[in-house]
Amino acid sequence: MTSPSFPTPEQVSAWPFDCVLVANRGEIAVRVLRTVQQLGMRGAVVYHAADRGTAAVQMADHAIEITGGTPVAAYLDGAQIIAAAQACGAGAIHPGYGFLSENKTFCEAVEAAGIRFIGPRPEQIDLMGDKVRARNFVEKGGFPVAPSAIEDDDPASFVERARAVGAPLLIKPSAGGGGKGMRIVRDLSVLEQEIERARSEGQRYFGDGRLYVERYIENPRHIEVQVLGDGQGGVVHVFERECSVQRRFQKIVEETPSPALDAALREKICETAAGIARSIDYRNAGTVEFIFGQAGEFYFLEMNTRLQVEHPVTEEITGIDLVAQQLRIAAGETLGYTQADVTAQGHSIELRIYAEDAARGYTPTTGPVLVLHPPQGEGVRWDSGILQGGEVTSAFDPMIAKLIVRGRDRADAIAKADRALRDTVLLGCKTNTAFLRRLIGHPAFVSGDVHTGFLDANPQIAAEPELPMQTVQALLAAASLSTRPMRDMADSVPDMHAAMGGWRN
Amino acid sequence: MHHAFKLGDAEHNVELSRSADAYRLHLGGEVIDIDLKTGADGRAWLTLGKQHLEVVIATRGDDVFVHLDGEAYQLRYEHPLDRLAAQSGTSAEDSILAPMPGSIVSVAVKAGDSVVKGQTLLVMESMKMETTIGSPRDGVIAGVSFEPGQTFDRDALLLSLEPQEKAA
Repeated sequence: MTSPSFPTPEQVSAWPFDCVLVANRGEIAVRVLRTVQQLGMRGAVVYHAADRGTAAVQMADHAIEITGGTPVAAYLDGAQIIAAAQACGAGAIHPGYGFLSENKTFCEAVEAAGIRFIGPRPEQIDLMGDKVRARNFVEKGGFPVAPSAIEDDDPASFVERARAVGAPLLIKPSAGGGGKGMRIVRDLSVLEQEIERARSEGQRYFGDGRLYVERYIENPRHIEVQVLGDGQGGVVHVFERECSVQRRFQKIVEETPSPALDAALREKICETAAGIARSIDYRNAGTVEFIFGQAGEFYFLEMNTRLQVEHPVTEEITGIDLVAQQLRIAAGETLGYTQADVTAQGHSIELRIYAEDAARGYTPTTGPVLVLHPPQGEGVRWDSGILQGGEVTSAFDPMIAKLIVRGRDRADAIAKADRALRDTVLLGCKTNTAFLRRLIGHPAFVSGDVHTGFLDANPQIAAEPELPMQTVQALLAAASLSTRPMRDMADSVPDMHAAMGGWRN
Repeated sequence: MHHAFKLGDAEHNVELSRSADAYRLHLGGEVIDIDLKTGADGRAWLTLGKQHLEVVIATRGDDVFVHLDGEAYQLRYEHPLDRLAAQSGTSAEDSILAPMPGSIVSVAVKAGDSVVKGQTLLVMESMKMETTIGSPRDGVIAGVSFEPGQTFDRDALLLSLEPQEKAA
């Protein structure tokens, strides 16, 4: 095999498992099950009662209910998940992203139960999961990191050392991820107060109040690199993704290639990522995240040792099924291809469909999914875990779907994305689709000139535009004709004009 | 008979009447001929004056959801009686409603506690951030609706205060 192609049935039949359990929910459970089933294997999923009516549960060959004090707690209960895998004969567990995907203890327990963990080795999770150790390790390897102060180095002098990093700075929980508990400090007089707040959040989210601070790069871009390693000496990168459009440190739009990179810089950042993965003989799909300054400088941010939410854009331009590659690697295969075999063409953009109200500070919304017509067409992909008739609740993350488009070039991809957003019909729960259309139509986005503070700097994109009178009329007409008491009342009144017919002017 | 819909923060008064073969919408000073023809797949054609617009409509209780020209909108039918009651309503400050969906981190007070304006009543979590809910006025806590760990939707009643006592 010379290119990262989809495994053949002969290959799959040699694997030490023929059933894979997905320890996750929502769109990522559907995504993983799709590849598992395409490979001719059985796909199993665990689910909490709150997810009973979702797409993953419907498509799985085995769906096993798990319980917990809260729905989230169920998906964090490793013992129940391992028992479920044993019950249905799953020889491998795919953790998806979030939940237990970067939990070393879970990984060890899975392997101790004789089940393959579709992920890295436990010590790799451990190293990269501790942001401080990861940063130190990467720095020692000669890779670029941003100026910082680490509480653990000497807790007594942490505040002073943090002050010395200088404003603006960013406080982060050592055990964190996904933007949780992060705080920007521009005014050092509130530094201690903000440190305490971040510590409390870190303690609550991760059971770990340790912190570190690092220089905050103004108007940075977020560029990350997909890597694949087989843990047997083989590592390749699968190009970069740009995820600069964020709100509250969370990504909303991701794309590849990055409009910020020329060929030389692309090779440099991608090779840096591959070098970091190579330095630990990384096993699994992983993502090395960088903060990228306006002058082209970049620093290691963190490495995520799992499949990333935005992995589809990489799949779209390379034709590589990253889940299939994860399964091959977990089965013990070597990559069997080199960097030169990994090629890309075209441009892909992912838009995260969130149940939220952009105009109200991106606050989450909830509600029933009364109508759902996903967009269709060539180059349009809809990764979602919700179904018409389902319900969006506050029990889980508000991301309900991902719209991924592929175009000849960036302009073509943007045009396709706008059409697909327009064609997306989702009624019953407010989503951010209209906001996303305004966002991708903004001149700064169109020209590729964005940074992670772009939305904060342009709050008008989130604001609801005033509706044209004709739109208001159309909406009131549609609503009036759909409201039973109004129709009944109109129908019951013998209208003089109606009776006399043609008196209209 | 006036009807009303809430669209965003605005309230619109409308009337609907029959025309010879369809309906008329009375809005402000305008009267517009309207009609709605629904297809099998939920898609519908709305006639608005001389225009024909493709729409998708779903209803749930008093909520009407409309997909029009690539965007989704929500309208809420306001019952005439409810609107009347709202005009003579009680103090909104007696009820502390959730500003967004989320879960309770901690509750600092219990029923019967005296509180002063601005005092922390509870800490909630939403969007991965903590938000502190303070008392809107001095008063006495009448009830607490949730315990730590419980989740709630937007506009859920989190706490209530005893109605303001009249000055003696």
